[in-house]
Amino acid sequence: MKRTVFAAPYAVWMAIFIFAPMLLIGYYAFTDGGDFTLANMRAGLDAMYMQVLIRSIWLAFRATLLCLLLGYPIAYLLSRMKHGTATLLSVFFVVPMWMNFLLRTYAWQVLLDSGGILNSLLISLNMPGQQLLYTEAAVLLGMVYNFLPFMILPVYTVLTKMDASHIEAARDLGANGMQTFFRVVLPLSMPGVISGVTMVFIPAITTFAISRLLGGGMFMLYGDLMENQFLLLNDWGSGSALSFILLILVIISMAVMRRAERQAGEEGAKLW
Amino acid sequence: MSDKHLIELFDVSKEYDGDAALKNIDLYVNHGEFLTLLGPSGCGKTTMLRIIAGFVMPSSGRVLMEGRDVAHIPPYKRKVNTVFQKYALFPHLNVFDNVAFGLKIKKLPKAEIERRVNTLLELVNLKGYGKRWVEQLSGGQQQRVAIARALVNEPEVLLLDEPLGALDLQLRKGMQVELKRMQQRLGITFIYVTHDQEEALTMSDTIVVLREGVIQQIGAPQDIYNEPRNAFVADFIGESNILPGMMACDYRVRFNGREYPCVDAGFGEEQPVEVVVRPEDVDILPLAQVGGNGMRGVVKSTLFMGVHYEIQVVSDGYTWMVHTTDAVDVGWQVGMQILPDAIHIMRPRP
Repeated sequence: MKRTVFAAPYAVWMAIFIFAPMLLIGYYAFTDGGDFTLANMRAGLDAMYMQVLIRSIWLAFRATLLCLLLGYPIAYLLSRMKHGTATLLSVFFVVPMWMNFLLRTYAWQVLLDSGGILNSLLISLNMPGQQLLYTEAAVLLGMVYNFLPFMILPVYTVLTKMDASHIEAARDLGANGMQTFFRVVLPLSMPGVISGVTMVFIPAITTFAISRLLGGGMFMLYGDLMENQFLLLNDWGSGSALSFILLILVIISMAVMRRAERQAGEEGAKLW
Repeated sequence: MSDKHLIELFDVSKEYDGDAALKNIDLYVNHGEFLTLLGPSGCGKTTMLRIIAGFVMPSSGRVLMEGRDVAHIPPYKRKVNTVFQKYALFPHLNVFDNVAFGLKIKKLPKAEIERRVNTLLELVNLKGYGKRWVEQLSGGQQQRVAIARALVNEPEVLLLDEPLGALDLQLRKGMQVELKRMQQRLGITFIYVTHDQEEALTMSDTIVVLREGVIQQIGAPQDIYNEPRNAFVADFIGESNILPGMMACDYRVRFNGREYPCVDAGFGEEQPVEVVVRPEDVDILPLAQVGGNGMRGVVKSTLFMGVHYEIQVVSDGYTWMVHTTDAVDVGWQVGMQILPDAIHIMRPRP
């Protein structure tokens, strides 16, 4: 018996839950219930939809950047701590991930609401209440909060696996702390950074619940748009066309990341 | 304390969580010297190197460089460069940028960096390898890059931590010669850590033998080999026959049931000592040449080593290791002779 037999259940699983839906998307995107057509795709490339797509990319880009700016220093500090302390602290970042994504986002709704905890605090300090919920900043906050661990973990892994002798070599060759960081530590941790960016950017660009719960539907993202096409308008044709466009976009960005990853070294590929 | 000493260690000790890695080390290193720290693993030689490099702070004692206390000078401000055990080359940089690392940190003009890096690559026989990635190089080539990367900064002292440990025997021999030549040509002080006694004997001006954090002996290779101060040094440097003995009086020692004339004195009378005889200092004689009370033995094994035979001879219950060019066979009765100056007397190990 060949060993490949054991992979059969997985192949069936993939066929049912990955390939079949993708084929269906392709089918609905390029037919009008039987005949081949490009009408759905033309509609999908409409300027208004493109605007939503660009807004989604821009928001995902900023969320990824914020995750990187926050996540890298956190991962760096964790990697320099004693192993026990670091493990304990990383639990704080990981435990919220065990909670349902929607619940976590609802929690922020409660925190940010005009009658919510943050505003109550402001008012009790005799400061004017702020419109926190249903702003773009709230959507960004929700994304950063939800995706930050996906940035921290790969960077942390790379940093802890880094050979200490490289850092010593840099010190030995005359580099002070800053120079050692920028010339050795940062470049050597790039595989982790690229993994983290991939892990954050791709879910960020496809997200839909966060923008609805924290943006109140005022900041429609591409994910919301697709959801509307399918569930509100019941227009499977154009919904599939939008999915198809996003799929291609994701594939392109994954290819770009892979390329960068290969340039940054082989280690990154082994992380996930 | 004279100012010609480049590095001085005064009463340096280092403890790790209560375990002493180095105990009361006093040592000085001269300009242009090739000094080797030799000892088995765990003897503290690497710790000593790391203290000089600045990666480890001594628990007590003082380290002076050119007469100045360097306790609070971080590694990157010391005029010392290190060749690391596993090279620690930067995998994200090519050969040129690895070697140029220190010079770029110093922000030297581009043309000068290029000139100095190329000079060094030529010195280590890697001319034209600048654009290669580190992982494309063989172990020996990586080793050379590591040496070039350290030397390009023109350090006062080059620290080498078992730099040839990862290379195969033939390459290691070649690099030993090359390193020694480089050191003589550049006139830089080398502090070299190794557990390989042969390497230490070939390359060094001075050998420091360490054991469990304590210096056992400091001296030129010939002195260390010919006049080991204690049985540990004798055992560690080269092969030795080590026997318990009794000093009868000055210039007379008794061991293995016989009394021998020797050249050592000052141990007192009827004092227990340890006797060290190098295998090549035992002469094998035909039985006919041995007098009535001469030393005799039976050959237990022979091993052809190329130039000489390594044979074991059992005599009065002790198995002697002997290096000889005479061909003998197992089972033969042979006579043996040890000249007075081949007998080294040591105080017994505590």
